[in-house]
Amino acid sequence: MSMRGFELYDATTVQEAVDLLKKNAKRPTKVVGGGSDLVGGVMKDWVQGKGMPIPEVLIDITTIKDLAGISAASDSITIGATTTLSDIVDHKDVKQRIPLLSDAAASIASPLIRNFGTVGGNLNQRPRCWFFRGEDFNCYKKGGDFCFSVTGDNRYHAIIGGELCYIVHPSDTATALLALNASAKIVGAGGEKTVAFDKYFTGPRVDVLRENVLKPDEFLTQVVIPNPAAGSKMAWTKLKDRQVYDFALVSVAAIFTLDGTKWKDGRIVLGGVSPVPYRAEVVENALKGQDVKGAIKSAAAQIRTVARPMSMNAYKVDLAQGLIERTVLAALGG
Amino acid sequence: MARIEAMRVALDAEYAAALTDADWRDLSQDPEWAQMVAEQPELISGVLATHGHKLPGADDGAGTGGGELLAATTYKVIGSDIARMQGMGIVTGRAEYTEHMTMPGMLFARTLRSSYPHAKILNVDTSKAEKIPGVHLILHRGNLPAAYKDVKLGAADPTRFLFSEEVFEVGAPIAVVAAETEHIADDAVRQIDVKYQPLPASLDMIAGMKSSTPKQFTTKYDGTIVSEDPPFIRGDPENAHADTTVHVVAAKSTEQHVALELTNSLTWWDSDRLNMTYTSQWAHGVRNSLADALKLPQNKVHVIQPGYVGSGYGYRSGIDLQEVHAAILSQMTGRPIKWNYTRYEDFVTRTHRPQFQDDMTLGVNKDGTIVSGHFIVVANVGAQRAGAADGSWFNMQELYKIPNLKLEAIDVMTNSYKSGPYRCVSHPNGTLALETTMERAAYAIGMDPVEFRLKNLNEVGDPDTKKPFSNPGIRDCITQAAQAIGWKQNWHAPKTKQVRPGVYHGIGLAAHACSHGAGNDNAASGQVIVNPDGTVQCISAANDIGDGQRTTMMMIAAEALGVPLTAMSITPYVDTDLTTDTSGTFGSQQTNTGGRGMHEAALDARKQILDLGAAKFTADAKKQGQTVTLTAADVDLQDGVVFLKSDPSKKHPLKDVVGKPLVGVARYRPDNRWTRVAWAAHAVEVEVDTVTGSIQITKYVAAHDVGKAINPFAARQQIEGGVVMAAGAVLTEQLLIDSATGLPLNPNLLDYKPLSIKDAPLAQAILVEHPKDYGVFGVHGLGEPPMSPGAPAISNAVYNAIGVWITEMPITRDKVLAGLKG
Repeated sequence: MSMRGFELYDATTVQEAVDLLKKNAKRPTKVVGGGSDLVGGVMKDWVQGKGMPIPEVLIDITTIKDLAGISAASDSITIGATTTLSDIVDHKDVKQRIPLLSDAAASIASPLIRNFGTVGGNLNQRPRCWFFRGEDFNCYKKGGDFCFSVTGDNRYHAIIGGELCYIVHPSDTATALLALNASAKIVGAGGEKTVAFDKYFTGPRVDVLRENVLKPDEFLTQVVIPNPAAGSKMAWTKLKDRQVYDFALVSVAAIFTLDGTKWKDGRIVLGGVSPVPYRAEVVENALKGQDVKGAIKSAAAQIRTVARPMSMNAYKVDLAQGLIERTVLAALGG
Repeated sequence: MARIEAMRVALDAEYAAALTDADWRDLSQDPEWAQMVAEQPELISGVLATHGHKLPGADDGAGTGGGELLAATTYKVIGSDIARMQGMGIVTGRAEYTEHMTMPGMLFARTLRSSYPHAKILNVDTSKAEKIPGVHLILHRGNLPAAYKDVKLGAADPTRFLFSEEVFEVGAPIAVVAAETEHIADDAVRQIDVKYQPLPASLDMIAGMKSSTPKQFTTKYDGTIVSEDPPFIRGDPENAHADTTVHVVAAKSTEQHVALELTNSLTWWDSDRLNMTYTSQWAHGVRNSLADALKLPQNKVHVIQPGYVGSGYGYRSGIDLQEVHAAILSQMTGRPIKWNYTRYEDFVTRTHRPQFQDDMTLGVNKDGTIVSGHFIVVANVGAQRAGAADGSWFNMQELYKIPNLKLEAIDVMTNSYKSGPYRCVSHPNGTLALETTMERAAYAIGMDPVEFRLKNLNEVGDPDTKKPFSNPGIRDCITQAAQAIGWKQNWHAPKTKQVRPGVYHGIGLAAHACSHGAGNDNAASGQVIVNPDGTVQCISAANDIGDGQRTTMMMIAAEALGVPLTAMSITPYVDTDLTTDTSGTFGSQQTNTGGRGMHEAALDARKQILDLGAAKFTADAKKQGQTVTLTAADVDLQDGVVFLKSDPSKKHPLKDVVGKPLVGVARYRPDNRWTRVAWAAHAVEVEVDTVTGSIQITKYVAAHDVGKAINPFAARQQIEGGVVMAAGAVLTEQLLIDSATGLPLNPNLLDYKPLSIKDAPLAQAILVEHPKDYGVFGVHGLGEPPMSPGAPAISNAVYNAIGVWITEMPITRDKVLAGLKG
């Protein structure tokens, strides 16, 4: 299929991109990174609706030199929004300090996509819900008046936190970065700001038409990841139906510190279960102060208390429970 | 148009009974009929039993031609691993696929398709779309030339006209646009306003069988059933008593082929002749179908199959409505039409291996003998009149000795994906159903499942027609597969072998018999030209779809003729102007149709050469003052050298014998004395993770009786590829619809999830060679059989691993986890 024609601008500076966004504010305009989702997915498949017009203007930010690259400071790592996923996978400091992120990036799509796809694009891609992606389903997320997943085939939909819309957040780097307590640098007409990933992703209750805090005239420029506390244990698990080109059925990013064998502090974040990357505080709380190995089984089962599976996806609750346990044990070293 | 509806002949006994002898003659020329002969012989076996004698050339006896080289124990060409001639073109990207082809002034076409599964089209308003610059023509019900208003594909009820007023499926064409670019055509399609009157849709196969389901056409059956076979009865199934009875419900979902190259064509007119280059498995069938639809003589239609086609797997055997639209658009605009299907269109609007459900009851005695079987098969044929259910009967009738047998079959129409061949229509389902039932019966009586199968094998012939099998290799298939997987060492009681925490080992095996791969009565023609320089050109209409058939054709001709492969050539493409039909590359038949044509043509050329050789040696002797009269029987041709049998030192290279170019022609009547069967057994080891429900295939062995492997390299690749596709159908693939709207849910590569290279098992292929009397050099075809045993073999292995029967394909993790919870 081919898409409708559009105007493409190669921005060379952040300011130029901001100006182009302002100038085209009255037309459907999008910032584009690698384009594997926006162009190769949304636009090619004519995913559109009243609340989601097909872009007439694309502003390429991969042509901005300063936006790509990884810099490691003593206390943090900063990753430019147009850094490719492959560059993250291969980066020495990322691998050393936060292998959780390298592993998450390596589990995305395929080498071809990782060579072209950017971290900004991965974080801000649209969900994979087959109703949302299907041209003939006019769903809430496109400005329509229905969620087809409630009575339809919801085997891949949300088990936690769905309301109105039951997508699951598609980004693996989002899950990992939330676990790593990272934050996003955002630029727009109103200047620059920093938003912790804790607050970056928004559910359907906030605005069903988007999945994050970005306003139409804003875009992500950088991701900043603080060094994990000394002695942090971490691990990444992504369960998918096939090993290349697949999204997470359930993913788990776990990072924590120990006091002896006891859980001191940390985060367990799930992907593939909720409209936003989901921090499983109920599991974290059950582990607090407990011997991790001894407590993980019953702590992981706590996820059942917050899960509200739909008609066809109760199996995902089992997966979440089982994978939380396995991931935490893997972080401990097996 | 006095066209016979081939599918109705198969399904409707009254319709078939009313046909005249002239109708039967026409039918024998019908491309859809030829597809059924190759692909679904079970579907037409009933009608053939009653009316088959009316078909021209009907004959139950031994054939003509062939056989004379079968006795050879050593072959010079066949049996060697030969790289396919198109390989370099494919891997370097230099091959010319239809998709790459362009013509000056060509327009691009696109289709507006129904978004309702069942609706009346009340109005089509193209006024907005026509104003888009670059739009040349929009064709729809309102402006279709009168001559084409009655044109339809397939059998009637539900009827598929070029633009139907009543549409029965999502994706049915409503309008087509020809424009300067694909972008413009795509945009224009979305600017056409259609007024639909939605009608009640039948979206569920089981619900479709209920009398309460509204009928969509006149029928004597309940709901949207299109056909119910009269039950097949052997022995006395009602009164047979067995020690143990097992009951299995097996099912599979709808799958699509996911060919790499999307369907596409380039169409143009040259005065009154239609030309089309097309991604096809059968150029001549396409030609004949286009001629029929456009009411043209066959020689006014010229079809080229470029020889490089991104595979087919069965759904490219014929044409679809879009190809007729292309011809009309090209005629009306005076421009060539370039038409690339979208992935959505390939997924949704073409054919699918259909959904089935099987209700299986098998009675066995404690000593391992089978007493009786009662098997009911239901098939979802989608939005068309078609048959698929009774195709599942074949192995139920042939594979094991089942003295008392009752078979039932019901075909249900739904407003959904249309059925058709995908490496076979029905046999994979039949094997899934039978072989999971056999496995369950073996466990039920406490017998080793391999021993149980071997004990009950039927190795004689069809128990009902009494036509014998030819040299069946099923026992070797089973024992060799079992040995290669280490059955004796590795088989264990269910859920007794934990390999890692929560992960269990399992092993399973399945046997297979199907009716594909013999060619049956389809056209088997070809010519072999021997040039004055001793080189040889094969003229064959055998369509290569990535399987290496053109290479196989050369190998067969070279072996039969007696020349080295280096002297041979063949075009990669098939051009209907320059070749004779040798039926399609479907039904696993091409090695025995096109290959038979090559074999007979080469033997004909060989005979001419031996005659010439005899004359030449006679003349040689005369020059030396000797008077001898030599005949062809005194002369041989091997490795391109013609020599005297009595004194091989007296020899001539072929070029010194040929003189003027000569052509060998195939004349062939098939050998119909046999029940022709493809045999196979697959064995598999898996690891099942009880936490995630993941199934990992750790070893896969596939043994096939190929009769004689012409090109073992290509044969092994057929097996490896078939197993990859089978594993996908077992583990991830199912084409879904939304149960409320009937709209497709996952018609794309991301959501449909064909296996990636990291997931695909690499089968260890075992070639079992039991030469067949009816096959070219004893060969039996191999295209479809590797697809069938995977599902039951893996399902059986999963049971062995975790003690849970999952006989509904695909075996997704939700089913595994639910099964474990009991």
